[in-house]
Amino acid sequence: MQAATKHLSGAVEPDAVSSTGFVLGRYVPQLFFTCAAILLPFLVNALWLKVLTAVAIYALTAASIALLYRRLGLVSLAQVALMGCGGWVALRFAHAFGLPFEVNLMAGGIFAGLIGMILAYPALRMRGLYLALITLMAAGGFGILINVIQFPNGGGGLTGFEVRAITYMPRPVIAISDAAYFSYCMVVIAFGFLLIDVHERGRAGRGWALIRKSEASAMAAGVNVTLYKVWGFALSGFLAGVAGALLAGNLQLLDARSFPPAESVMIFALTVVGGAWHWYGAVIAALLYRLVPAFLNDLGLDGNAAYIIFGLALIHALITAPKGLAGQLSDGLKRLARRGPNA
Amino acid sequence: MKRTSLFFAASTAIVVLGGSSAMAAPQCGLNNGQKATGEPIKVGAVVGQTGPDDFSSSADAARAYFNCVNENGGINGRPIEYLVEDDQWNPEVAGQVATKLVKDEGVVALVASGSFVEMAVNAKLYADEDVMAMASACAVAECFESKNIVSTNQGPLPSSVGAAQWAAANLGSKNVVCIGLTIPSVGPYSCGWTEKYMQSKGLSGSSILLDPGAADMNASVLETVASGADTVLVNLPAGMAAAYLKAVEEQNLRDNFKWISSTPLYDTEVPAMLGTYWDGVMNINIELTPIDRTGPDATNWRAVMDKYARPQDPRDTFSQSGYLSARFFTDALLKLDPANIDRKVVSEAIRAIKNETSDLLCGPYYVGNADRHMPNHANMMVQIAGSGFTVISGCADVDSAYLDPVRAAERDLGITN
Repeated sequence: MQAATKHLSGAVEPDAVSSTGFVLGRYVPQLFFTCAAILLPFLVNALWLKVLTAVAIYALTAASIALLYRRLGLVSLAQVALMGCGGWVALRFAHAFGLPFEVNLMAGGIFAGLIGMILAYPALRMRGLYLALITLMAAGGFGILINVIQFPNGGGGLTGFEVRAITYMPRPVIAISDAAYFSYCMVVIAFGFLLIDVHERGRAGRGWALIRKSEASAMAAGVNVTLYKVWGFALSGFLAGVAGALLAGNLQLLDARSFPPAESVMIFALTVVGGAWHWYGAVIAALLYRLVPAFLNDLGLDGNAAYIIFGLALIHALITAPKGLAGQLSDGLKRLARRGPNA
Repeated sequence: MKRTSLFFAASTAIVVLGGSSAMAAPQCGLNNGQKATGEPIKVGAVVGQTGPDDFSSSADAARAYFNCVNENGGINGRPIEYLVEDDQWNPEVAGQVATKLVKDEGVVALVASGSFVEMAVNAKLYADEDVMAMASACAVAECFESKNIVSTNQGPLPSSVGAAQWAAANLGSKNVVCIGLTIPSVGPYSCGWTEKYMQSKGLSGSSILLDPGAADMNASVLETVASGADTVLVNLPAGMAAAYLKAVEEQNLRDNFKWISSTPLYDTEVPAMLGTYWDGVMNINIELTPIDRTGPDATNWRAVMDKYARPQDPRDTFSQSGYLSARFFTDALLKLDPANIDRKVVSEAIRAIKNETSDLLCGPYYVGNADRHMPNHANMMVQIAGSGFTVISGCADVDSAYLDPVRAAERDLGITN
């Protein structure tokens, strides 16, 4: 099955490049995020560092969306709500137990992963528009629920919310400052992309590839469709939950109004624009989602004007770039590389 | 004949005084008519301009006042460079723009900020960087429970409790339902303390909290009916409040309740927006004194706005508040050596502000070193009348246990309200 599915999984063919190049190529995202973690705090000012921290966090969310879309062909419009789930648990754990940030981060991720598994249940029977609508309704339900229970603010009880001034969530002891927290987020995101890569190259990735091609074929080949679909949603939810916990650490609080269902739709659309088939498509999506509005805002323009740009980018992607801007960029670079030696 | 002469003399005096008041030149800072040309002093503000409501009129007024100061000698020769950022009602953006002002621009203080979200997000930043925020249009708990934020306006809590207090005493209200926003440190904070006030008097109170993005107010109106209250306290931004009241009007439920509101409905555009349906019915608590008063600050505020603000800048309560914050800030800085103005010195100067008075306020303004600040906690009531408002009660201090720590701090500072 491994040989049969290698092509379907979209993995880079080892014989296409040298083995050293292949290994290095495999870890390009991690190298990219590590370099960014080290260099950017010295290159940008406090505002842009804050913006880039948000970009990094939403890159992980976009990667979680791209994973489902690329590998299983499934559309989840609930990823921002899953971020909210992860952020809620991370905040609650932080205020209730005073545990290290990493524990809260994992708790947020695991909880969102569990919610993702519950969302997977309809995915076993539905695809396309109907599944998208189900996930969108889940996101809407979360929006209503979180407006009722609110995010924990240091209060007691199950919800951890009291009518009083906010108690801020502590950041990791090694990342108290904005600059250190940016680097911390980059490292976590590098691990997140690595986790996706490990899954895609393993048994799960082969199973997802067959399911994407044809569920009937996958079943005929002995793939446990239920298990792998649930697995995909759990991993995607886990990553979104971790992103939510990172977002909670960034602001050291969360606001219920930051997680409307429309944001889930928007980040999904931008993931398509960025390109779900390349790792840096998620980075492009996050740059569009958070850097462009901040840039417009800094120019004194209404940041909401970015939605016009998003709309144009989506039309562009749908018409000319089925693999998103990342795909276009990748194809362009390949064309340049081919032209180089002939010139 | 004698009576007629007296009448004409008095009329002439009123016209002359009124005219001179309306025509008065703005007074600000050193007031020497010389343009400040020294090194600018950077001052910031974060406002919620783009979003469910516009909270930028306080910064508009402060900008006008600082323009006036810069045209009149500045801060002993140094002009104020006023940097205003829009948080778009988005916590992430609020954090970003405040970081830009505090860390990148190095502002010495924030003056006349107005927002529903930025204070909750940035209170820690201001404390960590020891920068003082003299806000003017505060609505969240963190505005009044943070060491480095002091607001000239009262926020929804005293305004809501003050309205309920007045309704219990003057309308015989026994059961007040507070219509607020779900934003944690806004609606639950102010409506929650209104409920506590009602309970402390052996009366009843409840809350209906709305999502700021709620477009349809009919459900909220139905909830209001189901609450069993005899009095409705509208504690929403003006735009949402108008939408809610329109829904009440469509269902013709006005006469089923007594009506009170916190300050946001005290806006010159509101009576026209609401129409005649609410004439003589809607009673509004105001955090500062009425905008048409003729005291020195009220007159000067209008003069400053007329000369230095843009024509479209609102002349509302938050504008008064922004003007006052800018004036108190300027007065504090004028006591400093202009060559040695940095954030540390400015923060200390702001904390040293004590017993500042204004006819725009019911009580004295002060800052001090306490871990929370709410200098303005006495308010008035007005009623919608025709195209304007009629004052229906004078200044009254708010009766709430929430103010106990504030009053203790005032005793320590020797402030008596």
